[in-house]
Amino acid sequence: MCVLCGQDFVGRLHWTDRHVTDRALAAGPGSDPGEHQRDRRRDRAHRVALLNGVLPHYGLKVEDWSGSKYLLRDRKGRSELVQDLGALWPAAQRLSGRVPDPLDAALLESLKEGGGR
Amino acid sequence: MTIPVTVVTGFLGSGKTTLLSRVLREPELENTAVIVNEFGEVGLDHHLLRPVAERTLLLGSGCVCCSEREDLVAALGELLDLCQRGEIPALDRVVIETTGLADPAPILHTVFSHPVLSHHFTVDLVITTVDAVNGAMQLSGSPEATKQVAAADEIVITKTDLAGPGAKEELEARIGAINPSVRIVEASFGEVDVRELLSPVVRVGERDLPRLQEHDTASTHTVSVTFDGPVDWTAFGIWLSMLLHARGESVLRVKGLLDTGGPGPVVLNGVQHVIHPPQHLDRWPDRDHRSRVVFITRDIPEDSLLASLGGFSGLLGAAAVPLGERVSVRGGSS
Repeated sequence: MCVLCGQDFVGRLHWTDRHVTDRALAAGPGSDPGEHQRDRRRDRAHRVALLNGVLPHYGLKVEDWSGSKYLLRDRKGRSELVQDLGALWPAAQRLSGRVPDPLDAALLESLKEGGGR
Repeated sequence: MTIPVTVVTGFLGSGKTTLLSRVLREPELENTAVIVNEFGEVGLDHHLLRPVAERTLLLGSGCVCCSEREDLVAALGELLDLCQRGEIPALDRVVIETTGLADPAPILHTVFSHPVLSHHFTVDLVITTVDAVNGAMQLSGSPEATKQVAAADEIVITKTDLAGPGAKEELEARIGAINPSVRIVEASFGEVDVRELLSPVVRVGERDLPRLQEHDTASTHTVSVTFDGPVDWTAFGIWLSMLLHARGESVLRVKGLLDTGGPGPVVLNGVQHVIHPPQHLDRWPDRDHRSRVVFITRDIPEDSLLASLGGFSGLLGAAAVPLGERVSVRGGSS
């Protein structure tokens, strides 16, 4: 998904998802295939935890959806399924009606109050 | 193995074709295919030359950066086909020469995101030619020229033999102020050391740490930072993807090495909002093991970027520290 125009490039790996796949490829034959899955799940859980440090500022929450997508919800019960971080921010903007902007002083203040977590 | 693609860009008349016709005479570039917009006035008699009419397919409601270059999909696809059928020798490299006003970002986007091309090609370098006689004027007057300098991994300063005294040094300072991570090579009549020009190692470091700088070239700001410890890569991905979503059109370039606590750094390289697939290196390219990231932005002041990284430091696991002293380089029209 393009970060600006929302083009969905099906089957194209977003740059933030690349490293786990690279690690699996680098491990090569003979490596434990389960290790890749464990790494992947760990990374996804970590990403969800970090995102839930940021998204509450916009009245949103995210959870992992069966290890393949992310489910973004607002407080009114509306939700969107997204593939990756490239698609998450436009969806967050649609649901919250605000542009999620890391330069926004109010967001930075809320991160400080939340201790960054 | 993917085939490296080198993009050669530069303003109108800045010497792209002269440079190419010179370096393609080198025997080590024999199996290099060249994609050019048109046969230029300086003849390129390379046997793997593919002229293309620059055609951009703007995807529905798409922005320019993530438009797909149809001409490149066709030309690279044809080269791949010929190569796999054994009709041409195995390719060591493909060089794409752009037009003088071209934006390099759609080229990168095409190679990184096309379902077939992304498996066979990777962009290893963006080389921008800047003319020592007119370069400063073009940087003052043309946002395209600034964008091409921001997108460059290497700059080749051409026509140094024609420039007045001090012009080259002034231009180098100007270029360094826009893009401190760039390597600058001088070439008159296209005479350069090809090995040095195409060496990918240099682009990931081995340079003096860049300084925090500001200049008034089309409101371009350059900020270089390090971090006081390893950065959580997942958190950095969240921060950068969010920044690109909100301010993608203002981020001209993100480049650097990021210490994420592994044995080597992550190579970070983005041109506008097209991010190269990040490479996780298994060792550092030099003795300095600190993160160093350069942001080249338009209309995002340094303080604002640093405050944002400061606000996210809890998630990132490290605090950003600006590199060097703050200096101002005022670009005149000379």
